[in-house]
Amino acid sequence: MSIEPPLPSPSGQGPRSSGISYQKLLDSDTRPVPEVLRLESARELPIVRVPLARYTSTEFHDLEVEKVWKKAWQFACREEEIPQAGDHSLYEIAEMQVLIVRGEDRAIRAFPNTCLHRGRALKERDGRSEDLRCPFHGWTWNLDGSLKEVPCRWDFPHVERDEYSLPEFRTGTWGGFVFINLDPECESFESYIGELPDHFQRWPLEDRYKEAHVARRLRCNWKVAQEAFMEAYHVVATHPQILAGIGDSNSQYDAWDNFSRAITANMTPSPHIDYVPDEQEMLQSIVTTSLDAEPFFRVPENMTARQLMAQMARMQLQAAAPSVTSLTDAELNDSFYYTLFPNFHPWGAYNRITYRFRPYGNDPHCSIMEVIYLSPFRGRRPPPCDVHWLDFDEPWTEAPELGPLCKVFAQDTFNLPKVQRGLKSAQHSHATFANYQETKIRHFHTLLEKYIAA
Amino acid sequence: MKLRHPRTGALYTTRDDGSVEVEDRLGRRGVFHHDGAWLRGELREADPHLLGFIAGPSIARRGQSEPATSAADRPRGVSVPDLTANSHSSTGEGSNTEMDLGLNGRKALVTAATRGIGLAIAQSLADQGCDVALCARGAEGLETTQKDLEARGANVFTQVVDVADGDRLKHFVSEAAEHLGGLDIFVSNASAGGGPGESAWQPSFDVDVMGAVRGIGAATPRLAASDAGAIVLISSTAALEYLGIPQAYNSMKAALISHASDMSQALAPQGIRVNVVSPGPIYFEGGNWEMIKQAMPAMYEGALAQCAIGRMGTPEEVARAVVFLASPAASLITGANLVVDGGFTKRAAF
Repeated sequence: MSIEPPLPSPSGQGPRSSGISYQKLLDSDTRPVPEVLRLESARELPIVRVPLARYTSTEFHDLEVEKVWKKAWQFACREEEIPQAGDHSLYEIAEMQVLIVRGEDRAIRAFPNTCLHRGRALKERDGRSEDLRCPFHGWTWNLDGSLKEVPCRWDFPHVERDEYSLPEFRTGTWGGFVFINLDPECESFESYIGELPDHFQRWPLEDRYKEAHVARRLRCNWKVAQEAFMEAYHVVATHPQILAGIGDSNSQYDAWDNFSRAITANMTPSPHIDYVPDEQEMLQSIVTTSLDAEPFFRVPENMTARQLMAQMARMQLQAAAPSVTSLTDAELNDSFYYTLFPNFHPWGAYNRITYRFRPYGNDPHCSIMEVIYLSPFRGRRPPPCDVHWLDFDEPWTEAPELGPLCKVFAQDTFNLPKVQRGLKSAQHSHATFANYQETKIRHFHTLLEKYIAA
Repeated sequence: MKLRHPRTGALYTTRDDGSVEVEDRLGRRGVFHHDGAWLRGELREADPHLLGFIAGPSIARRGQSEPATSAADRPRGVSVPDLTANSHSSTGEGSNTEMDLGLNGRKALVTAATRGIGLAIAQSLADQGCDVALCARGAEGLETTQKDLEARGANVFTQVVDVADGDRLKHFVSEAAEHLGGLDIFVSNASAGGGPGESAWQPSFDVDVMGAVRGIGAATPRLAASDAGAIVLISSTAALEYLGIPQAYNSMKAALISHASDMSQALAPQGIRVNVVSPGPIYFEGGNWEMIKQAMPAMYEGALAQCAIGRMGTPEEVARAVVFLASPAASLITGANLVVDGGFTKRAAF
């Protein structure tokens, strides 16, 4: 099967929502606005349509494995998950497994999870061990990948120790995240992530700990899943209950080399509603309150909902993050959702969210979505939590550690298997993206195209 | 639950059997399953996202309950007599000589003393003639407080300290004693505050408990050198009775009461008394209760209704209790937990 190229866009620029722009909204902040929020970076992105087969075909999945998963830098685990020598984490992508190991020298190394004898997987799960020993015949490697022991060494005169070190993958770290690349010829991690660390200078994710980590299996392609979390265009139809208090269609979208960003303001009304909600209604739409219930929160006379929620957040965060008093109302209200190609989505400020989306084995119709909450702490670092797995039919509400957002994730993922179902019935050929509001998705597909064509 | 769809104007109301009744702008009604399936009625279609949101599976229960119901839903307690109107205050009336607390010239240290209760304690100590050392996380607040206390005639020593940082705290205590020329009184007031969830435990432990433990450790040699060494720990009535939210704060404050009791025994031979003051709800400008009053009026009203004296406390009222326990006038009192809450807690405190 030939892989059809995506169709080009007439122009990267175009009209915007008539609602208040994010930059205008920032002008009313009660704190000085940092430069990172003032950045705008619209890019010429050639792709507005992509062939539907990219979401459904095994051929395209195989291409992704060869051209993306074996070539691109990807988030494998958190540094905090492997703090001590011998700690290892197992990262799985498509059907490949990579072992991330903390060495005696504190260095983090990554190896294929494969014994060089007859190929058994070396480890089956995360853990801590003194060395890397294959359970089949007992071949053993040191934590740095050098060959340590071969039982009945006399029987392997043809095995040179130096030639039997575990092949090592390249690794990089940023923000407490460990990244790996399966391609020995890849560009450096630093050049790959570009200015992303500058964006997070005020929100150092390395100083957070993993408080919640939920992984759920989904019946849709991994790109169908992640693209549902890369725009606010869906809010009007998918999250109608919050429209009074979310700047959805007037969100800001920006793209840089390998990463993109969306900013969606909260406590400002959607341009989609045809009346002006008061401050109390905006607040209530976000902490959704029944019409016949006494509201739990009430916006004081002299405050806006935006100021109130920022002030409440400062109160809640002050114990763990003393610098919180200087954070803008924007940083304590709004959603700053970044995407680093291909599948890593850390959120800025104090939203706590990081998403990751992966294929489920080699099935193009299934995927794994992970929600990770990174929380600030004071004093000694709390231990990271374990992964809480949810199966295909287990609802998000079974993961109460995610808090009230469970219900919102449920609305999002409600659509996903239905998208996959729809794709299988399609007679048309391409998915079509919005010029501006789907900037992040177009940016992703522009990069995907570059990798596939390489 | 009842919600209006902001776009279509239709009204969604959950029913006892878990289904949802929807009424559109034209008055047509229909009943739906939360997954979008039509069950009955004239109206045949509704927004599945909103149906799922209001009637889909609810969030599984966990150890920590959400604060959303609790205080606001609790029935009002016994009606509150207005005791402030017919004053039975014992100060002044009938007393012929003013009680001398014996604080003049004493050296006191208070942690986190630039606002609220901590500030009031520092001010009251200064008013009684003490020199005061204080710390806080913000330099700005320290500067303002220093001026205030100096205006009251105190020698003042301040330092920016995050009490969670044990080394910094210990360093501050020795420097303060050095600067003031000794130490008679140590008040551990710093708190990481309340908050739900697992992440609140460590800060609460580091600040509320370890701040007191390490502070006592560092202050003990100095206090032992005094002829009236005294320690006061600030706990909370949240340690004593359920407040409607299980949180680290409550348990950590309870730990302080036990530890104070231990230390009162352990340090008595060195002439150091150790006591606790447990304030109930204390209202002051910029404090949490002010924010709660504005933002969560039902919760505020609920707490207010529990205050037998008909109002919440002021920081000054707490400070007077602390100052008394810290003073030589309280020479026989050690290992006590003095509840200062205007009748907020209901149990008999044997």
